[in-house]
Amino acid sequence: MNAPVASSHRASRLTQVRARASGNLVLGGLIIVLVALTLGMGALEPLFHALFPELRNPLYARDSFLNLMLAHIGLVLVSSLISVTIGIAAGLFVTRPVGREFEPMVSSLAAIGQTFPPAAVLAIAVPLAGFGFAPTIIALSLYGLLPVIQNTIAGLGTVPQTTLEAARGNGMSRTQILMRVELPLAMRVIIAGIRVSVIINIGTATIGSTVGAKSLGTPLIAGLVGNNLAYVIQGALLVGLLAIVTDLLFERLERRYSFGG
Amino acid sequence: MSKVDTRSDRALRTSSRPIVGNRVLLTLLIIALASVAFLPFATLSPNRLVSGQAVMLWQACRPWQWIALAALGALLLVSAAGRPLAARPACRVALLTSLPLIALLLISLGDYAHRALSDASPAARVSQSASFWVLLFVGALVAVDALQRLRLGLVPRLGFALVAVVLVAVCLASDLLSGLSIMREFANQRANFLDQLVRHLVLVAGALIPALLVGLPLGLLARRREAWRSGLFSVLNVFQTLPSIAVFGLLIAPLAALARAVPWLAELGIGGIGLAPAIIALVIYSLLPIVRNTYAGLAGVPAGTLEAARGMGMTPTQILWRVEVPLALPVILSGLRIVTVQAIGLAVVAALIGAGGFGAFIFQGLGQYAIDLVLLGAIPTIVMAVIADFILQILVSLSRPAGTR
Amino acid sequence: MIELKGLTKRYAGKSVVDDISLTLEDGEFGVLIGPSGCGKSTTLKMINRLIPASGGQILLNGDDVADLPVEQLRRRIGYAIQSTGLFPHWDVARNIATVPQLLKWPKSRIDDRVDELMALFHLDPAEFRGKYPHQLSGGQAQRVGVARALAADPEVLLMDEPFGAVDPLTREVLQAEMKRVHQQTGKTIVFVTHDMDEALSLATRIALLNQGRLVQYDRPIELMVEPADDFVREFIGQADLGLKLLSRRWVHQYQREARLQQTETLDSLHAHGWLIDDQGRPSALAGARLDDADAITRVKPEWIATPEMSMKEALSRMVWYRVMVLPVVDDAGKLIGEVGMQGVMGMQDEPEGALS
Repeated sequence: MNAPVASSHRASRLTQVRARASGNLVLGGLIIVLVALTLGMGALEPLFHALFPELRNPLYARDSFLNLMLAHIGLVLVSSLISVTIGIAAGLFVTRPVGREFEPMVSSLAAIGQTFPPAAVLAIAVPLAGFGFAPTIIALSLYGLLPVIQNTIAGLGTVPQTTLEAARGNGMSRTQILMRVELPLAMRVIIAGIRVSVIINIGTATIGSTVGAKSLGTPLIAGLVGNNLAYVIQGALLVGLLAIVTDLLFERLERRYSFGG
Repeated sequence: MSKVDTRSDRALRTSSRPIVGNRVLLTLLIIALASVAFLPFATLSPNRLVSGQAVMLWQACRPWQWIALAALGALLLVSAAGRPLAARPACRVALLTSLPLIALLLISLGDYAHRALSDASPAARVSQSASFWVLLFVGALVAVDALQRLRLGLVPRLGFALVAVVLVAVCLASDLLSGLSIMREFANQRANFLDQLVRHLVLVAGALIPALLVGLPLGLLARRREAWRSGLFSVLNVFQTLPSIAVFGLLIAPLAALARAVPWLAELGIGGIGLAPAIIALVIYSLLPIVRNTYAGLAGVPAGTLEAARGMGMTPTQILWRVEVPLALPVILSGLRIVTVQAIGLAVVAALIGAGGFGAFIFQGLGQYAIDLVLLGAIPTIVMAVIADFILQILVSLSRPAGTR
Repeated sequence: MIELKGLTKRYAGKSVVDDISLTLEDGEFGVLIGPSGCGKSTTLKMINRLIPASGGQILLNGDDVADLPVEQLRRRIGYAIQSTGLFPHWDVARNIATVPQLLKWPKSRIDDRVDELMALFHLDPAEFRGKYPHQLSGGQAQRVGVARALAADPEVLLMDEPFGAVDPLTREVLQAEMKRVHQQTGKTIVFVTHDMDEALSLATRIALLNQGRLVQYDRPIELMVEPADDFVREFIGQADLGLKLLSRRWVHQYQREARLQQTETLDSLHAHGWLIDDQGRPSALAGARLDDADAITRVKPEWIATPEMSMKEALSRMVWYRVMVLPVVDDAGKLIGEVGMQGVMGMQDEPEGALS
């Protein structure tokens, strides 16, 4: 009676392994392309010359693409760290007995807040914080906070009552239950929230160049304003690849925390 | 035995009569108080481009406004306390206090703008500032908190929202706020504003209609051919992952080339910049949530229900229209809700490739460092997104089968 | 030893557990039973303070549980529940090791203990150690749940309808296993169920609760023979009281010497004899068939009895396989006696002797 179950299990595991192997190849390839383009966009200059013969400078040269990439990643990393720290802390607070009263309010704030267009949030940060790095970080952190809070609450909510009862019944303290049972079980959903937040922030950081923050959006916007399509393509390619690679990395991270439920 | 008893009795006594009845409301009040004490309520500047001098709430208010605001604050403090009011009456008081609070804020600000400008140069400007926004926000959240605690039905909630909207609309339409810098900007841009509003709506509708026409059948296809599902979803997910501005940018070159090669397309207005690439990109973005939710809605129909439908002799078409679609509708509409809100936001970015809409104000304003122009673009976009979300949320809950709402 | 003294639980002034006092000696298998809402689960959960008591006292080996730090108390008490409550992100070994890890046992001791417990529940460590809960069948998951509860060698084991969610066949297997584990470990067990058959087959003491009150607390036989009131009589169910009695009596109490097949012919319906193989295992039965008194019937594993089997089970096998006698075999399968239809009416010795 066990045999068919076991063998179908094995078969699905096999296709999973195969899919994962081809996924690794794709991800590896994309990372190589991303790094190569960041470091060696200059090598493509003849190509851009051929594509856009009417342009005198078809390669963005006001800053190195490596600098732009690092600035972009820096923006996203700093803001995501802030959002993740505050977001998980807030999510934990409103799911503990002390903060449970705040849960409905925080949940609806997170839901309503996400209907705000990221570009509008970025624009509104300008009168509050001026131009440059600061408003972009503020807008990105604030906006990125919401999916993290939402998913932390949702993830902790998926932990079954019986599992919690078993944990208490086995003599775990509150901290032990949180660290050993609740957080590991909620982690997949929390990471999904961080993934959403980071992907949105990669996109919004691009627009950050309109408020004066250096990012991969800088050549893109410069190209749009100066009617230089080559700049647009260079910026768009890099930021697009960055987003896809990040998303794939998060997908793998999420998979680590699924326990067959 | 007695030990256990006293312990639980003490707990019972303190839980029945706490000093703080509503900690959320109390927190909001503390935030409001702190903002009044430390943040400016308004700014007065000599002209549109220069940053001005901060005006605190007590400097901006007339005595009666001051007293009224303090009274409303005291009322809220009482409803946040555990006594003398019981929980539900306290929530009702808070709910009824929130609207006068918001109205009073608008009146105080507008009134101050008129007074301050009457003895200043014509170029002088009065703008709302941080404390105003915090207080407005607190007022709205007081209402949200009270509505959540009262667990009112759909109709009373809708009624309350309507009253609030009418209240704000009256304030905006009257002369009350006309002294404010942003309202003057609005007056200057009135014709343009309407144009961009229409343009924004055209972008959103132009994205949603094709996305629905393509996405709904694709969702059905994903349900009927499970083997195609993961491939379809990963392709759509890649598009969803790409930053919007990158997609806009990447579409310019091919579309420009297309317009050059096929002149009649160019005559139709299709080209590298403008509406065409914007709408194409928005459609691409809108597909994933529509396809995914259509699939999820259909997949969520219980197998037993489908078997019963088949067993009673329904044809596949009848099953689709009479069983699957009605049961999947709430999920499909949730997808539409996501997509609509998302499209309203992305349309802002489309202004960067000349598609117009409220984004045009935002980026023009950012370029000129004209904050009022930025807000004139950003605030209506946010309002539009929130309203669309609210309406579609109601549609979603109405689409649920009666009894499960 | 567990003592409940005037244990009471009130919710909003309403008593759901009302002044319950009882004592469960070491090594006893106590079952709390009653209709749903009678307060049996609440009573159980007050013992490890998952639910705080509103009044009364619980003593665990003389210590008032209210005086012990709650986590320490729970680590002294094993706890198994209906849905197993296994941690889905931990494999079987780590699930079983939950409490030893909390108690910071050295790793080698934990590993040994996990293997020991898996052996106790007939789970092959090589196969099951690394499996995750979603890869287990209901019965296996439930075994792991009980093994986890026993891991730190607790003074008491609390079980809240542990077999309520498994299918009837698995439940019987698990009950038999539980009985064996109880005998092997000598643990004091408090077990909640609503299934009277389960209670009768497992318990050494049954506490019958109704509307929060303790109606009767007795040994199973006494509950059946001397029900305290009509509620008890009704709850046990009069219809098959005889069969329920048999479920509390064991084959070894009815066992008699097996008659081996001789060469002479069988003279009556009840005359019969066993054929045994060279290892002393019964291989065939001559006679004693209802349909054909002279038949030689090959012994099948399905109609063999063991000394620990209940008489209800033995009777059921006789009826189903249409034989008048069953061979009684030991662990090695050797014929050590027989038990027959007519023996059901009379016992070889007093049944209660084996119970106390």
